[in-house]
Amino acid sequence: MTEPSFQIGADAALAEQAMAEIRAAVARKQALGAYRDARIARAEQSNLAQLQDDEAFLRYYLECLRQAVFVDINDFEIRERRRLGSGLLVLAKRALWKILKFYTYRLWSQQNQVNGLLVTALEGLENRTRRRLDDLEKRLAELERETAAPCRPRE
Amino acid sequence: MPTPRIAFVCPRLAEGGVVGGAETLLRALAERVAAAGREVAFLTTCARDHVSWRNERPAGRQRIGGLEVLFFPVDEDRDTERFLRIQAVISRRCPVSDADEEAWLRNSVNSRALTDWLRERAAGFDWIVAGPYLFGLVQAAAQAAPDRTLLVPCLHDEGFAYTRAMRALFRSVAGCLFNTGPERRLAERLYGLPPESGAVVGLGLEPFEADPAAFARARGLAAPYVLYAGRREEGKGTPLLLDYLALFRQRTGEDVKLVLAGSGEVHPPAALKPHLLDAGFLPEAEKQAAMAGAAVFCHPSVNESLGIVVLESWLAGTPVLVRARCAVHLDQCRRSSGGLWFSAYPEFEEGLLSLLRRPDLRRALGDAGRAYVRREYAWPAVLGRFEDALSRFSGRRR
Repeated sequence: MTEPSFQIGADAALAEQAMAEIRAAVARKQALGAYRDARIARAEQSNLAQLQDDEAFLRYYLECLRQAVFVDINDFEIRERRRLGSGLLVLAKRALWKILKFYTYRLWSQQNQVNGLLVTALEGLENRTRRRLDDLEKRLAELERETAAPCRPRE
Repeated sequence: MPTPRIAFVCPRLAEGGVVGGAETLLRALAERVAAAGREVAFLTTCARDHVSWRNERPAGRQRIGGLEVLFFPVDEDRDTERFLRIQAVISRRCPVSDADEEAWLRNSVNSRALTDWLRERAAGFDWIVAGPYLFGLVQAAAQAAPDRTLLVPCLHDEGFAYTRAMRALFRSVAGCLFNTGPERRLAERLYGLPPESGAVVGLGLEPFEADPAAFARARGLAAPYVLYAGRREEGKGTPLLLDYLALFRQRTGEDVKLVLAGSGEVHPPAALKPHLLDAGFLPEAEKQAAMAGAAVFCHPSVNESLGIVVLESWLAGTPVLVRARCAVHLDQCRRSSGGLWFSAYPEFEEGLLSLLRRPDLRRALGDAGRAYVRREYAWPAVLGRFEDALSRFSGRRR
């Protein structure tokens, strides 16, 4: 049976060519550490399903995660939704946060320790699994080569 | 040769653009087949809303455009709570018992009036074209005369596709009319279907001309914009697009806006809010103008069987940026050369930068996409594939 009568257009190579350039640019920037960015790790939260079947994505994500591992307790903006006296309320909230911040340090440092240990453990697991897989693939390739070799008659 | 009678079965009648792609496809195909001289009946339910499935229209026969439409009431004795409970388990791809699968279908959208009517008259039809696949109604309609039923599944790689009931449905019908090659390959892989049991048909689209500056002018947009049109929900990948675009603006310093058309709530990151235009549901002409004026149309969904909005963007001459994980969009982009794809943020950033900074590339991709849709999705091409499929399945039936 023939495939449906879809044709590949004359410009079919254009997108592939553009993608090859994009991948090369990404590889270049990755080597320079351009994507070691905690914000990327956060933006990838909706893309984690990729982890299921993409080994390269896991390596990339672990790299991003390494940048996002340490919690920044000051990464939020203090705001006030009420219009009336919002300036004063923001000032009051800021003052309150300055006083209370000290009491979060212990929790903050413990969280950072746990995060760091978890990422290290994940990276360790990933490296060990990759080494074992590489080793198994090498052995399998050798076995396949041996079995594919023509049998010599016994002398 | 007698004119064959064809019954189309679809849970809702598409009207005014506020429906899913499957309903749009089935209605448009039925209208074109009728206009081509075939005798066609369109069987559907009285429901308009896909959440409540309330019977809003009167039951009975109506002539709508060139189509004879028969409306039947949705069964009102369905146990929606039980249906949703089982559906949640199935959608997580967890195994369920035969009894639960049966209860899931029984409490899905059904119309005994429609299936009884069809069962009594099935012999009078040469073909029953039914879809999409995951409704109890479509399952029941296919059972009325499986040897003359052609399923238009609009199949996605989702939990429901892995149920035994769906496997039985796909294997029982005379044939399947798929939208794309990847959808067909998915069905072959999931259900062990032989290649001759399916044909790729798709949906025809009319070319249109739109003023690329009109939308930006009307909405006061001074910067280039990325457009997404469709349902805004997690399944369609819109949260990913919001996160990626907010980050893209921060990292690259490019002033690019995001325009969202369609329905559904969105929760953009605070940094993106001033640069997001939520246009809501747009009338067809305005949607086309928005597409023509967009720098890029981004479709972040991973589960599609056709992606009508991607094809429409190409008709508007606009290139697309899609997820590499979406087999259908990736295949369309490769075949047409009408767009780029990304698997993670770095490819998104680099791809969008290329499209924004290289107008020559943008134009070339947009032109290639337009030529592809005009060639492959013109109605004569689609109807030709439909007729070929009918001839082939008739041959198999004999």
